[in-house]
Order: sequence, then C-alpha cells, then structure tokens
Amino acid sequence: MNNQIEQVLKKQQEQQKSPSEGEIEQVVQLVGFMVGEEEFAVPILGIQEIIKPIEYTRTPKTPPYVLGVFNLRGSVLPLIDLRMKFGLSRSKENEDTRYMVIKHNDEVAGFVIDRLTQATRIKESAIDPAPETLDDEHNFIYGVGKQKDKLISILNVEALLKRDF
Amino acid sequence: MDEFQEILEDFLVEAFEMIEQLDNDLIELENSPNDLDLLNRIFRVAHTIKGSSSFLNFDVLTHLTHHMEDVLNKARRGELSITPEIMDVVLESTDKMKALLEHIKETGSDEGAIDVAPTVKRLEAIFGGEEPAVEEGSQAAEPEPEAEEKELSEMSEEEVEAEIERLLAQRQEEDRKRREAKKAAEAAGTEVEQSEEKELSEMSEEEVEAEIERLLAQRQEEDRKRREAKKAKQEKEAAQTAAKEQKSGAPKPQKQQEPKPAPKERKTTVEQTIRVDVKRLDDLMNLIGELVLGKNRLLKIYDDVEERYEGEQFLEELNQVVSSVSLVTTDLQIAVMKTRMLPIGKVFNKFPRMVRDLSRELHKEIELVISGEETELDKSIVEEIGDPLVHIIRNSCDHGIELPEERVAKGKPAKGTVQLKAYNEGNHIIIEIVDDGKGLDPDMLKMKAVEKGLISEKEADQMSDKEAYMLIFKPGFSTAAQVTNVSGRGVGMDVVRSNIEKLNGIIEIDSEVGKGTTLKLKIPLTLAIIQSLLVSVQEEYYAIPLASVLETVRITPDEIQSVEGRSVLRLRDEVLSLVHLADLFDVERVFSMGEHAYVVIIGIAETKIGLIVDSLIGQEEVVIKSLGEYLKGIEGIAGATIRGDGRVTLIVDVGALMDMAKSVKSSMQNLEDNVQKGEKSSPEDYNILVVDDSKTDRSIMKRALEPLGVTITEATNGVEALNIMKDGSKSFDAALIDIEMPRMDGYTLASEIRKFNKFKMVPLIAVTSRTSRSDRMRGVEVGMTEYITKPYTPEYLMNVVARNINLNVPEYTS
Repeated sequence: MNNQIEQVLKKQQEQQKSPSEGEIEQVVQLVGFMVGEEEFAVPILGIQEIIKPIEYTRTPKTPPYVLGVFNLRGSVLPLIDLRMKFGLSRSKENEDTRYMVIKHNDEVAGFVIDRLTQATRIKESAIDPAPETLDDEHNFIYGVGKQKDKLISILNVEALLKRDF
Repeated sequence: MDEFQEILEDFLVEAFEMIEQLDNDLIELENSPNDLDLLNRIFRVAHTIKGSSSFLNFDVLTHLTHHMEDVLNKARRGELSITPEIMDVVLESTDKMKALLEHIKETGSDEGAIDVAPTVKRLEAIFGGEEPAVEEGSQAAEPEPEAEEKELSEMSEEEVEAEIERLLAQRQEEDRKRREAKKAAEAAGTEVEQSEEKELSEMSEEEVEAEIERLLAQRQEEDRKRREAKKAKQEKEAAQTAAKEQKSGAPKPQKQQEPKPAPKERKTTVEQTIRVDVKRLDDLMNLIGELVLGKNRLLKIYDDVEERYEGEQFLEELNQVVSSVSLVTTDLQIAVMKTRMLPIGKVFNKFPRMVRDLSRELHKEIELVISGEETELDKSIVEEIGDPLVHIIRNSCDHGIELPEERVAKGKPAKGTVQLKAYNEGNHIIIEIVDDGKGLDPDMLKMKAVEKGLISEKEADQMSDKEAYMLIFKPGFSTAAQVTNVSGRGVGMDVVRSNIEKLNGIIEIDSEVGKGTTLKLKIPLTLAIIQSLLVSVQEEYYAIPLASVLETVRITPDEIQSVEGRSVLRLRDEVLSLVHLADLFDVERVFSMGEHAYVVIIGIAETKIGLIVDSLIGQEEVVIKSLGEYLKGIEGIAGATIRGDGRVTLIVDVGALMDMAKSVKSSMQNLEDNVQKGEKSSPEDYNILVVDDSKTDRSIMKRALEPLGVTITEATNGVEALNIMKDGSKSFDAALIDIEMPRMDGYTLASEIRKFNKFKMVPLIAVTSRTSRSDRMRGVEVGMTEYITKPYTPEYLMNVVARNINLNVPEYTS
C-alpha cells in the first residue's frame, strides 16, 4: 500500500517537473490539424475554442472561402473555409470536421478544418522561419516546425484573421 | 485632489448647461433688449461662472467673465442699450468663454490656450460707454479688478453667496499658507505660537457661520472705506469731466437687500439625478439586446410546444409565464432606452445663434422658430444628428430665404422664417425644417444636373418633381449661382443624406416655387433594436428595416413586365422597377418561383424600388449585431441579428441595396432555362425515397412501384432519410414515409423536410397502419400530401405515386 502511494507521488513529481523544465527551453504549444492532405498547427494561445460544426448563414458579396457567419453564444462570427482559402476544393462536412475559433486581439473568426490531429510541444529553436521563396499569397505561414519524423507548418494567426478582400 | 477633481467636473457640467441656455437667451435679448428677466438670467450665468472659476483659480476665465458681468450689469440697470454691435461683442465673449471651458475640460487649466485680451478690451470699451471698435487699440485701460468689486449692499442674493464663497476660498488659502508656514517653522525647530484663528476645516458649522459673519463684517468695513475713497476720487473726476459721469461703476443701488448667510439652505436640496457613465448604459443596452433575443427564442419555442401539446393543462401556465416574461422584457427595454434618451433641444439650442450669425453675414432677415425641442432621442442619434441639421439649416438660410428687398418685391414679409420642428410618430421621430423662401424649381434642378453630367437627359425627362428635389443630395450638386462662405461648395447635402441613412433615417422634400421648402427627416428612436420585416429567398432569410418598407404586394409572375431588359411592375398609377433579392445577393436558385411572389417596396426619400422575394415571414423586433472587423462593410448588408431559433439572419442595408439594384439585370429568363434543363425524359429520371424501418415493408413498396420504372432510394429511419435529402446529390420527386420509426418518426421527418423551401413542393406520402382521424389530421398538419393506410393494394400505391409525380401509369398489357 505504502509502496503504491510512493509510486504515485513519484509519478506526480515527475509530471510536475517535466513541464517546468520545458518552459526554460521556451516551448511553444501547438494544436495540429489537417487541411486536405497537409498538417498545420496553430499556437494554442491563439485558439479560443474548438467546436463541432453548427449551422451558419451565408453572407453574399464575399469571397467563396468566407462561408458565412455563425452564432457562437450570442456573438456573430465569420466562418472561413481553410481548404478553400488554401486553394483546395471545398470541404465536405463529416464527423471529424471542426470549427476552430481563433482569436487575435479583438478579432475572432471560425475556421473550418478537416480533422484535429494532436497537441504538441515544440521548442522554439526547432521552428524555422517560413521559406522566403513562398509568394505573398502564402504568407499565412509563420514558420515550419521540425519534429522527429515530419515537418509541420505553423500558421500565422494574425495573417489568417486579416481581411484580404 | 480627488475632491477638487469632483468639484471641477461638477463645475464644468453646470457651466456647459448654463451656456447652452445662455446662447438662446442672448439671441432673444437682441429682439427684446428691455426684457429685465432675460437680462437678469444672462447676468446670473456670467456671474455664477465667474464665482466658481475664481474659486477654482481659473484666472483667465474669471477675468473674462468678470468683464462680461460688468457690461451685462450695466445693461441690466438700463444704463446701456443692447445694440447688435454690442451683442456681437457679448457673443464673441461667450464663444471665448466656451472655448476656455473646453480647454479646461481637456487640460484642467485655462492658461495659455486662448487670448482673451482683445475681447476684454472691447468689453471694457462698451463698459466705458463707447461703441465697440472693430479693431481694438484705442482703449488701453488696465483692468483693475480691485476697484471693480461691488459693494455688498448692492448685491443680489446670488451675488452675496458668490462673494461669501470667494471670501471663504480666500480664507482657506490663507489657512493653507499659515499651515505651511507652521510646518516650515516646526521643521526648523523653532517654537510655534498658537494661532488665534482656527482653520476652517476644523471649525464646526456654527463656527463657520460666525466666521462668515465676521468676514462679511470685515468686508463691509472695507467697502465703507473704499466708498469714501471713491467719493473723493469721483468729486475730483466730476470736476474734470462732466461728460464721462458713468465711468467705472459707482452705480446707484437699485434695491437694498439684506445680506444673509445662505450656504446652509443649499444643503437641504435633495439630489434628484445621478450621473452615469455612458459606457455603463451601453453595456446595459447590450445585455437587454441579449434578453430580447432570449425572449424571441422563448416565444418561438412556446409556439412549437403549443402546436404539439394543444389542449394540455400545463400550456396555460406556460403561456402565462411566457407572456409575463415577454412583457417585462419589453418594458425593461423601453425603460433602458429611456435612460439613454436626451431631448433634441440639446442640438436645437445651438441653431438660434447660428441663424443669427448667418443672417448678419448674408444680410438677410431670418427668424428661427423652434418647436418640440423636448422630444427625446437616443443619445447616440442626438450626437449624429447635429451636423446634418447644421447643413440643412445653413442651406435653408443661404439658398432658401431671399434677400429682404426680393422678399418685399414678391409681397412676402421682409423677415424670412425657418421653422425647426420635432415630434414623435410611432417608433420614429420626425424633424422638419420648413422655410418660406424661394422654393426649389424642379426644372432648374434637372437642367443643372444634366449640365453637370449627374443624370442623362432621358433620366431627367422621366423624373418626377419629388425625384428632382432629391437631386440636391447628389454629390457634386450645388444650386447656388455663387459660392458663398456659408454653403455651395458642393459638399454638404450629400453628406447629410449619407449621415441620415446611416441612422436608418429617411429624407423627404416637398417644395413649391416661391412658397418655400419643407425637409422632413424620419429617424428611428434608437439604433440598437429595430423593427424589421423578415423575408425569405430560396433557403435564405433576410431582415429589412421596417422603416424603409413602404408596402408589400403579392404578385403572380405574369404581372412582371419587361422594359428595356428591366423588370417593372405596374402598381396603381406608378411603374416600379423590380429587382430580385436573389439576383442582388447571388442566391443559388434551387427551385423556381412559385405561383406567387411577393414584392417588398422599399424606399429612401423619393426613390423606391420593388424587391422580389419568395415569401414574407413576418415582422420581428431584431437586435442589430455588428459583423465585426473581418466582414465589415459588405455591400448591401448593414449587420446581423440572431433569431429566436439561434440562427443568424442578415439585415439588409436598404440604401446600398438601391444602389446595387441599378447595376443588376434580371435573371428571370435564366431561371426558366434552368428549369427546362431539369426536365425529365424517362421514368428512371424520377427519384422516389422510401422510408420505412421494416425491410419487408420496403420491399413491398418497391415491388409495387416497379411497373413505373422509377429510381428508388431506401432509408431505414427519419434521420437517415433527412440526411439523404439534405445531401442534395439526388433530388427526390416524392417520398413514401412510414409513421412509426426509430430515431425520428414520420411526422417529425415530414415537418423537418417542409422546413426547407426547396422541399416545399415535394409530395410526401404517409404509408401507415394508423388509421384514426386524429392521425390523419396530424399528417396533414405536418405537411403530408397523401395518407395511405396499410394494408393497400400495389396498384393503389402505384397510382397514388404516379399521380403525385405526374407520370402516366403504364398500361397493363398482360
């Protein structure tokens, strides 16, 4: 019995230790998700919440990637299809589809993503700036995070929320 | 320091309130220079401001008001008659006073910003008995505030009070100095002698009063001495110049008044108002908005519940709760709205002065008659309405009212009148600006507009008079032959229009050549919550501000005529151009126009158009929500609102819509083409949805329909069926629906399907063993087209389906 308790305590200590160690190294917490075949991520601090798809109202006279507006507990927010924003075909809604509500300063909008992948911690030193060759159209990329087995594009929240029409 | 800040704020609020009144009083004074009441009132304002500002150590302001007070005092005693020239100077000093107060408001000090010296000099000149010189320079007398202090015995009650305050302030200042000295002395370690006089702040009320008495006595003593000195001086002066008797005030006392300590009385008045930060009211208004949304939602849910549980006991109770909640919410909304209301007089007050200045500048005689200034409006609107009104009134004075000679020649009184009226009409306030000037000449306006290339000649020919009047609101239009300082630069009236439209307001003009012009502004009482007409186009809903809706008519498609590629409607004796809301907003056309369509006639000022919509949902009170920075300024959309069911509905911007309508061509023809394309050529093109949880039943139905050769899709319950239909990959021509099914029964399915406009016409056939009358009734209510009871013969089922999809039953040639 005592042994068990000791083990639990030990485990807890370890858990407490690891994040604090991480913070010293300037870790960014990211939420990863799929848009089309590609994995992207957004810093967790830029995300207000993630919800399942709800009904939205089309807004006329806007670019196609602006699907419309939806009601999030009393506020009217724009809904943007990231697939279309990135030049892919329009998302087909399925069980994995989510609206990611992203916030920067006072700007808030919902973005349609195909599927959530995972939350990761990545050291800031492991993030490279976006390749210079990318043209203006793709300046939503804040940087490229290197992970053990893959690269992940980190999106620039501010650029996403900037109206470009 | 905080206390000082508080006093300062109170002072500023009070001062601004008084000044507003002051301007009007001054104008009135010019008309009746001998009105003693009026003079007293004006004098008191100057006096009060002087008193408080000296207390607060605003020396510049005190200096200025002091001289104003002198001049006004002289006028009050009948020693000076107010000529327009003197009035100019008085008004100028009022302006300076305002500027100083503004400066104090911003910086907390009155120093350095405004140079009052020239104005003061002119005031002094008047006081000295001279006509004011346009350029100063002659009179260079040093202001000598000491010598101009009046004697106590001549002062009115208010003045005595002010004087007491001044003395007390002086005393406090002395206290402070003494305190500091004491502190310094203590710090130096020397012995401090006990001061005989106690500090004001340490005194009891009685002591303060005694102190006041003492100070007054002291002051009277000083007065006496000064009087003697003055007398001696006067005797000397009188010997020198007999002409300038009236030099620096030794006025004869008009009435003696007992000086009595008044401050005690003042305390007894109870505070009737509190000042609230506007931000808090805004927050409150937002919360009320949420509540109204909640109420709408509750009402909708109640309707649904009522439908389903008709006749049940608890409905009555629910009804009571719902109606009391909705009643209270409405009352609350009105109450909060009222707290934000300000009388429009706040805006109107500045116009008498403006008109007066204008008439002097333009050499016209104009009288401004104001009525209804007590009419109340939301604060935010009051703030916005000022500028447009300034433009309109300037225009009336400049372009409307003729020169006096002209007017006399036309047989009108030399003095022109501009009336400014405000009154309530339903949920709106009407502001009318009426002048009796030369009026607008529609032909002249048209000519001018054609000349400037604003409209084509053809357009001009078709224009009604009222439309022609509206030309003055076009950008770049100016009717004044001469560009004056006042107006006619071509900006202004178009700004007026856009400002009024921003407030969801409407402008109307009526005019008669030679008689005058009437401008009517119709403005909603509040901006946050509006009445709207909800309409639907295909699957989409839009809210149109009810204020802009003139009427609605139901039409059949063949009533729509085409003139030069544009759809028009003949309505009574008018020809109205039509535009389909679906064309404006690029709504995808899923189904064609039914037997009827509705035309919502919207209008701003004299332009109106008919907006074709598919159906009218009804009138609803909606709370306007902003679309945020990202979607701000979408063409034709003014905002959004959340409806009772939680969905977002967009509110259209009528003004923008009318502009958009000009560039949209009707797509009625296109629609017909689409319909043609959907024509079915063979039985396989017909899709039938079969919904039943029993596999056997589905097979029976399938077999029964086989001879028709139609395509059949199966679903095992309501949810699945609904998803298949919504998916849109197939369009169904009919559905056979079982009633008892898991997850979603047939009734619910039918009512869900009917919620979609594009499925409104799809035949829904109930196939069930439920045979009671109430079941059938229920079926009809939820929108079933036919009701087939099990068991049935295969032929019967086939015939019903065939009839519903207009397919010929194949001949049996067995």
